[in-house]
Amino acid sequence: MSETRASSRATENAAARRALEEACGRVEDATEADLVDGVQPDLVARPTSTAEVSEVMRAAAAHGLVVVPRGRGTKITWGAPPARADVVVDTSGLDQVLEHAAGDLVAGAQAGTRLAALQEVVAGAGQRLAIDETVPGASIGGTIAAATSGPGRVATGTVRDLLIGVTVVRADGVVAKAGGRVVKNVAGYDLGKLVIGSFGTLAVVTEAMFRLHPEPDARSYVSVPVADPAEAHRRTQDVVHSQVVAGAVELDWSAGAGTLTLMLQGVARGVEGRTSTALRVLGDSATASTRAPEGWGRYPWDLGATGDDRRVDMKLAFALSGLSDVLTAVDAAGVPVRLRGSAGAGVVYASMPGDTDVAQAGAVVERLRATCAKHGGSLVVLDAPAAVKRGLDVWGPVPALDLMRRVKDQFDPDHRLAPGRFVGGI
Amino acid sequence: MTQTPPQSSQAGQGPVEVGMPSLMGAFDDHRPPDAALVGDCVHCGFCLPTCPTYVLWGEEMDSPRGRIYLMKEGLEGEPMTDAMVQHWDRCLGCMACVTACPSGVQYDKLIEATRAQVERRHERTAKDRALRGLIFSLFPHPRRLRLLRGPLRGVQRTGLDRWMRRTGLLERLSPQLAAMESLAPRLGRPIPLPERISAKGPRRATVGMLTGCVQGEFFPGVNAATARVLQAEGCDVVVPRSQGCCGALSHHNGREAEAQKYARSLIDAFEAAGVDYVIVNAAGCGSTMKEYADLLSDDPAYRDRARAFSGKVRDISEILVELGPVATRHPLEISVAYHDACHLGHAQGVRAQPRELLRQIPGVELREIAEAELCCGSAGIYNILNPEPARELGDRKAANIVATGADLLVTANPGCLMQVSAAIERSGHPMGMVHTVEVLDASISGVPASELLPPQRPERS
Amino acid sequence: MSGTHGTNTTAGPGVGPTPPEATESTGQAVARPDAIEAVLGRVRAIVPAEGVISEHSRLRTYECDGLAHYKVTPALVVIPEDARQLAGVVRACAEAGVPFVARGSGTGLSGGALPRADGVLIVTARMRSVLDIRAEDQRAVVEPGVINLDVSRAVAPHGYYYAPDPSSQQVCSIGGNLAENSGGAHCLKYGFTTNHVTGAEWVSPDGDVVQLGGLAPDTPGYDLLGAVVGSEGTLGVATKVTVRLTRLPEEVRTLLAGFASTDEAGAATSAIIAEGVVPAAIEMMDALAIEAAEAAVQPNYPAGAGAVLVIELDGAADEVEHEFAAVERLCRDNGAFEIRVASDPTERALIWKGRKSAFAAVGRISPDYIVQDGVIPRTALPEVLREIAHLSESSGVRVANVFHAGDGNLHPLVLFDESVPGSGEAAEKVSGAILDLCIKHGGSITGEHGVGIDKAAYMPRMFNDEDLDTMQLVRCAFDPQNISNPGKVFPTPRLCGEVPGKRKGVHPLQEAGVAEVF
Repeated sequence: MSETRASSRATENAAARRALEEACGRVEDATEADLVDGVQPDLVARPTSTAEVSEVMRAAAAHGLVVVPRGRGTKITWGAPPARADVVVDTSGLDQVLEHAAGDLVAGAQAGTRLAALQEVVAGAGQRLAIDETVPGASIGGTIAAATSGPGRVATGTVRDLLIGVTVVRADGVVAKAGGRVVKNVAGYDLGKLVIGSFGTLAVVTEAMFRLHPEPDARSYVSVPVADPAEAHRRTQDVVHSQVVAGAVELDWSAGAGTLTLMLQGVARGVEGRTSTALRVLGDSATASTRAPEGWGRYPWDLGATGDDRRVDMKLAFALSGLSDVLTAVDAAGVPVRLRGSAGAGVVYASMPGDTDVAQAGAVVERLRATCAKHGGSLVVLDAPAAVKRGLDVWGPVPALDLMRRVKDQFDPDHRLAPGRFVGGI
Repeated sequence: MTQTPPQSSQAGQGPVEVGMPSLMGAFDDHRPPDAALVGDCVHCGFCLPTCPTYVLWGEEMDSPRGRIYLMKEGLEGEPMTDAMVQHWDRCLGCMACVTACPSGVQYDKLIEATRAQVERRHERTAKDRALRGLIFSLFPHPRRLRLLRGPLRGVQRTGLDRWMRRTGLLERLSPQLAAMESLAPRLGRPIPLPERISAKGPRRATVGMLTGCVQGEFFPGVNAATARVLQAEGCDVVVPRSQGCCGALSHHNGREAEAQKYARSLIDAFEAAGVDYVIVNAAGCGSTMKEYADLLSDDPAYRDRARAFSGKVRDISEILVELGPVATRHPLEISVAYHDACHLGHAQGVRAQPRELLRQIPGVELREIAEAELCCGSAGIYNILNPEPARELGDRKAANIVATGADLLVTANPGCLMQVSAAIERSGHPMGMVHTVEVLDASISGVPASELLPPQRPERS
Repeated sequence: MSGTHGTNTTAGPGVGPTPPEATESTGQAVARPDAIEAVLGRVRAIVPAEGVISEHSRLRTYECDGLAHYKVTPALVVIPEDARQLAGVVRACAEAGVPFVARGSGTGLSGGALPRADGVLIVTARMRSVLDIRAEDQRAVVEPGVINLDVSRAVAPHGYYYAPDPSSQQVCSIGGNLAENSGGAHCLKYGFTTNHVTGAEWVSPDGDVVQLGGLAPDTPGYDLLGAVVGSEGTLGVATKVTVRLTRLPEEVRTLLAGFASTDEAGAATSAIIAEGVVPAAIEMMDALAIEAAEAAVQPNYPAGAGAVLVIELDGAADEVEHEFAAVERLCRDNGAFEIRVASDPTERALIWKGRKSAFAAVGRISPDYIVQDGVIPRTALPEVLREIAHLSESSGVRVANVFHAGDGNLHPLVLFDESVPGSGEAAEKVSGAILDLCIKHGGSITGEHGVGIDKAAYMPRMFNDEDLDTMQLVRCAFDPQNISNPGKVFPTPRLCGEVPGKRKGVHPLQEAGVAEVF
């Protein structure tokens, strides 16, 4: 019986593979390098155009294959592991910068394009896509799917503030666009918002259009040591309510103390003036530099770590008035927690040792999560060693989950897009 | 789905759709609200937040845009319903919407035309009729008001008024009558003005002065101050004995024929006086007198004279700024909150002049009131006909005034003074309340600022 | 597709307020006549009597919003006082299958709040409390009926303001702004409503109340808040809105520059952007628009100008001063013959007054007009303006241009006189051709007024069937009955298929591994 089933499975697999190969020039057997947070896929398809992605998705739909979209794979272990992964749709072959209209301050690229590659193109015109490359080598698509952000969000926002047009391929292979190539546009629903931070569970992004910003003439960094949570809180408040117009307000924190650093950007003379103002606001212990401090724009963990070498990596969000409470809770965690992030936006990243006992890690996560929730925010476990992750509630409670399920059911009724990776098991 | 009327038909101005008998619509053919003026409204809604009743209730029908829409319905053939009349009646006529309107919709003309139709065509309840009758047989008649002064002063002196307010007896008999009583100011001694007062120093103009009905009888001090200031600034002041009511209350409440009658008499009285300007210190009167040209546009005998008359009308603050100061201003160390009377600010566009006059006084600190464009709820006789919303608006205005922390409230209309003083009294934060010209008079006469503030009341025993 | 006034136009086929017969043929649900009675009965138990309007002449005052071109008398108007009442009304509608339309101040210019003859109009004008000002968090929580400008007034004492500033900011409501993703003159630098709303208490079209987003950014899960902002009332109704507050700038400098032509003004705009300066606003008006503004509010713009630019810079004082010098230079380099700098708030207000009242002011120079709203890439500005001029010349239809030059958002005002036969049709034609120009140049059919009823028919010119179908998946998730502002945004409704029963969480059988859901 089981042999029959196995052989019919094999036949089916062969048929599915043939269909995928017809859809896309490059279909390969998955290797260990293609693991999706510990889940082994069978195949990897490498389409090079939106049309090919569409064909791949149609083939996968026809054969009931579960698809995990992947860009450059730099965050493939983030979130919860998928329940299953038959085929990885790897978009690294979609690597073209499609357009850079410098006069219109917009640029577009295919999803597999590395963020850095797009930056290089637009830098030629003295412009930038105002998204910090917090994970080196990341693709445009992966950046959208994971909604990563860095220090610059205080001034220029995040992906959701910069994405103006998107092309996606649905689970059934249908290609759809939303938005456009102009910044100001309210025609139709903003589907871009829905795919941002969706971890590939709603559709495969194949192209994206962004608004750009001019590259500032000058930047300066003003740092001040902060001795305790109350001081970190007070200084952050002093800065955000002042007129220094900080481009970033970053806090680097461990062992009960830290450093607060402002980044000031703009025309040289203005930056000079605001640097003096910032030094005045932050007091005698503040220092200014034209260079970013060590670790600027990097998460407080080693991105190269894999498997059990990973730490328990978390993203914390909270209303600004909650900073002191959050830091106090971090200090009381009972394990050494490193924290870095935007005190000015209320979004920080923290990590604790990967060998933290599962129960203890769970307790820390819940305590910090409760503190964030008390201040109108949330905590998400981005990554952790497999054993620890299994024992944690990765996403935590999510309001409006029923509506989210209904959205998922409409876009992916068979739940074949990265099932289980997202909130509430979506 | 509805259709708007065509802009014109073969009948020319006919506001009613072709083929629709005019009998069916809300309005008859005698000066209905002008369909072309109604059509000027582009429905942008900029008037909504400035309309006191919309601010209170958030209902489209109680906004200028909604009231114009009701007129449009009427012009399209909808009958005049009780609902329509109710919403038009609730308009305070403050004209804040006219100020706010970017399209220049002449709502003032529309609501006046509508009100005249309502008065002629709509059957009011017996109680409503009686009250309106009482008001119009009293307010426009200085002599009758004067007769009322005695009893009111008696009532106030005996404390009977406070007793009546406390017991709510009057309120139970009629909230409107209670409103009338509560608005009556504490009365001073009447000061009769001579018919002619000569300028101090070289004469710069000869001006006629309207003494008004309510102003003259309830606020005689304001008229005296007006005369003194005009005199000090070099004006010969003529106060024609034959002058009567200007017709503002009638005009604003749809009593068209009555208003026209008053207008003709007043024109006669001031023409006879031979003056360069006609000076008014009550905002409601001034705004109506500036509209005589429209009010009498159908009267061939008075049309041109009305236009000439309207051209001479000036609010006291306008003429003083036009002439420029000559009399010495003595310092008054006092903080002042200036309240724009709707019929001065919105209807006449006079906002800068009173402020300029106050700022010219050394020591005066001028403070602005939040929601300045919002009516205080007085609106002529509105607070008597619609006491509840008027009271709400009065309280809102009082709170904004008190929030300025100023020593003194200054405004330029007797209705506002009565309404706001009643509201401020309710708020429990008593403050001085005077007319703009009284502040000037105090400064020019060198009277100390304390004279403008309320006396320390010994009544709490 | 027009913002006309005084015209007796009915909607075109398949576009406008469709009568019941027509709606059935397009698959639109139509409520049974007795259903509205059922809703009325329930509403009376929820909302105080003065908030329930059913008398005919009163209902009619709600038959159009800021786009008076389309009119439908609603079956019922309800003005709830709080979130509980509003949710109760929505639930009553959902259970009776009665469509509802939400309305704030009724200032929208795309007919987005056009009522349904078989439906309920839910007006938020009595929900206007600023509930919480949290300066420390740079947030305020307000009810949907709160007027945009009142948010800024309320938070000003804390040194903050609410950045999105549509021209109607003194009257439009935050709920309406959220529905339309309103922009404004200053969105060039500061973005739109979607960038300034971080949370909403939301009544979904089945009457459930859910929290979307919150005080903090980056709420985990799908960004449903991002989806509902700009959804034009088709995904439910907000009952509370959490807005981001922006620090009042240290310095604001406003400049008015007169040019001989729109070409020169356009060139100056491009030069400023190319310099790397991001002003808070760059607004342009052409000669005809200037004429209208002068007639209405006398802003005293430079005499004889073929175009004016209103440019505003804000931020830290040092920066603004430097950038302002650059802007002044670039204006002169590109032919500005007169430059005026506002020296105080009064002068600044006067410069802006001319611009902000421009739409309504056009009523002074033309009995009727259409307010158009389209977007083009900024660099296409000179070319598109020439094409519009050509359209105008060849058709004899006058077009006044007012627009946000910084972000390429055009507001051509197409003038006509309804009393002249054929004039309205000619204007409609020019107005439509302008939208086609926007699409041709890679722009959008609406930058801030929304699609509403007015432009639903244009959606297929910008998006193909698959795009529209995919957008409507979201609608099917939120509103499978299609009762929340039906007939807006999309020219043809998507059939949502079987209305799924509300599935709370994972099905127990699925969880136990016994069954899989397909």
